[in-house]
Amino acid sequence: MSGSGIDDVHALEPEDFIEEVHSFEHWFEAVEGYLKGLDHGHLPDVAEALLTAEERDRLIATFCSYAVAETAALEASSGLIAIAPNRHAKIFLSTQTVDEGRHVEVMLHRLRELGVPDPEAEVERRAGPSVRNLRKKILQLVEAHEWDAAIFAQNVALETMEYTVFRAHARTADPITRDLLERVLRDERRHIGFGENELGRRIREDKKRRLWLGTVKSELDSLVLQTFEEAMEEIGVPRWDRPSLGRDYLETVNRLGLV
Amino acid sequence: MTNFLDAYSIQYWLESCPQGYLMDTDYGHPADEKEPALVIEDPVLRDAAIRTTVQLVVGERCALASSSGLVGCAPDAPSQCFLATQTLDEARHVEVFTQRLYDLGVKKKELEDVIARYANPNLVKFAEILLEKVDKKDFVAGVVGQNVVLEGMAFSVFEMMETVNRDPNPKFAHTLTGTIADERRHVGFGENRIGSLIRQYPERKSEIEQMQKDMSYFMLATFADNFRSNEMQQEVEHARDELDAGARGDATWQGVNLAQAEPAEIEAVLSDTILKDFQARLGRIGLAYQTPAKPRVAA
Repeated sequence: MSGSGIDDVHALEPEDFIEEVHSFEHWFEAVEGYLKGLDHGHLPDVAEALLTAEERDRLIATFCSYAVAETAALEASSGLIAIAPNRHAKIFLSTQTVDEGRHVEVMLHRLRELGVPDPEAEVERRAGPSVRNLRKKILQLVEAHEWDAAIFAQNVALETMEYTVFRAHARTADPITRDLLERVLRDERRHIGFGENELGRRIREDKKRRLWLGTVKSELDSLVLQTFEEAMEEIGVPRWDRPSLGRDYLETVNRLGLV
Repeated sequence: MTNFLDAYSIQYWLESCPQGYLMDTDYGHPADEKEPALVIEDPVLRDAAIRTTVQLVVGERCALASSSGLVGCAPDAPSQCFLATQTLDEARHVEVFTQRLYDLGVKKKELEDVIARYANPNLVKFAEILLEKVDKKDFVAGVVGQNVVLEGMAFSVFEMMETVNRDPNPKFAHTLTGTIADERRHVGFGENRIGSLIRQYPERKSEIEQMQKDMSYFMLATFADNFRSNEMQQEVEHARDELDAGARGDATWQGVNLAQAEPAEIEAVLSDTILKDFQARLGRIGLAYQTPAKPRVAA
């Protein structure tokens, strides 16, 4: 891909800007820099750290929960394509579908690198209950064709949670996990941007929609925060750091003006 | 199965597609290539190009809806991941063919009206049969309909169009080359993944075979509408008058010189090629090909 030939997307008219930043061309330019030359999500020459049996086991449990969250994102983003209100949103969600598919693939592969012979069975056995419930809730909203609520749940709540957890984990992770998560984080930032932009525009002038989303947010908050707690426990974030991570999430969702 | 699905992983897709044959392209073709002046300036040829491209957009929109709809009902993670890559491939096809409509002078605000005006109703019916299976989360029927029938049709149509356009319109031919490479992968997945599922659910065979028969009928009806219309006859004659033999180049496909053949001959070779491919592929996955009814000649 050589790029779409546009020097500054911000100089475009609003409609053209949205078409440009939601395009396949734009996606490819964005990911080209950080996905080239990787082997299943990380640089091939990063050495595996020496992990104790306990550390390895904890990391396996963590990746099992991550895989469920990413599968939820894969199924939700692909499911949302059918109900997206316009072609640009459909194309953006297609780029997100492949991003989420990549995350599932690299996380299952990481489990294999950690010595798990059947990663899908391990995920089924070990993923935490909260993340499974969150997945169920998000897919219910997609199934119900609730575009605003599903985009909120998927691109704001789930993606922000993942962003916060992965960022916290990357700080203390072994080199391969860190490299993998840092590249996943680049994708998540783009997905959150789409969610905030899409919903921001739609709820700004529609009080009824804002109130309805506020209700959805309240319903999701406890599930998201429970999943957070579970993930923090798994990655070993000290208890005194956890409230600030919870605040990160709530601040992000509050930017939309939901109460 | 794990080993076979490794060839359809996102890792492989990234290396072979965006970082492979799509490198240095802009909407599917080298950035310096443009639609030929003749196509843009001649109202008959421009209209024909728009009408043809609309059918491609309609087909690709159906493929996008179908592949994305199948992700959630795929039976394992590697199949989900493959369908994620296919979803983005199809979205890219929608994007590049839509861009071609813009390149041909369709205004952004007119896009949906132009598509609604030119979309062939039989192609829409073809798509509806497939999407009904996807809506029901029927993975086996959905993959046969999408990756064997729809993609098999697209593969041959694109190959034929690429041959016709190779010399007179390299920009469009190059756009098609990338989509053909994608379709080849999609057809391969359908054929390789679905065989074991058909063996697992033999009771599904007759229903799926009926779907293939119905979809094939509407495909043939689309071709009949297209190749037997008076407009097509006039367009072909007009294009041949405007392009000298040198500019048309060697357009031989499946043994037929497309630059000289009559529309009826082109329709016959296209239909025949696709149906034979269906028969071979379906046989390999354990399904019996069903011969569709012949569509009536449009009045």
